[in-house]
Amino acid sequence: MEALIVLVALAIGLAALVLGLALRVAAWTWRGFDAGRAHQRAEALLREVLTDAEYAQLGRCGYLEVRSPSRPTRTYRVPRRPGRVAVHEGDVEIEALCVVPVGRLPPGDIVLAHKLMIEGNEQEYLRLANHFRLWPVFWSA
Amino acid sequence: MAILRVLSAAGDTQYEWDVGGIERGDPEALAAVREAERIFSERQARGATAFRVAPGRPAERLETFDPQAEHVVMVPRVAGG
Repeated sequence: MEALIVLVALAIGLAALVLGLALRVAAWTWRGFDAGRAHQRAEALLREVLTDAEYAQLGRCGYLEVRSPSRPTRTYRVPRRPGRVAVHEGDVEIEALCVVPVGRLPPGDIVLAHKLMIEGNEQEYLRLANHFRLWPVFWSA
Repeated sequence: MAILRVLSAAGDTQYEWDVGGIERGDPEALAAVREAERIFSERQARGATAFRVAPGRPAERLETFDPQAEHVVMVPRVAGG
């Protein structure tokens, strides 16, 4: 009788373990599926907002060059992958900026967020960014 | 059609309305634009910034909701990393 109780308890424990694992695998799969869809949507939006030349540059160079609206010689290189934005004055990289969205965004949306902030709200973007100076420049941020 | 796109972890969420319908006083279009305006204000209050976008033209920041803006993208709050 005792052996039977032990066997039933073991069977219940095993079933609970299998069910827990199955649920975890399902959650991982769903999260992956969801992230994949978010990535696709972000990529489609990026493709829609960028010009052909900008999108091609992003693929070819791994960054998107965004012109400063306030300084004719300044450009920002927004990386395709997570990383710092390089600030160029002419051909010289003068500093790197670290700016991140509060909360998660798919990679394509992060590139777009940088572009929009630089073009439409540059001073606020610079104010919020952490600046990593690379060059003893005469320009101020 | 005009569109408001709000960036989020799930990709962008879209809210559409018919600009012509608003001018004609179409109730469905008016309801849609009111919903878009509500989302705009709510996200802005949470620190998001809105931009009018068009391919080949620099983005333009929108301080207030513009029902005539054809394509608006809202970027969530950003911070120094």
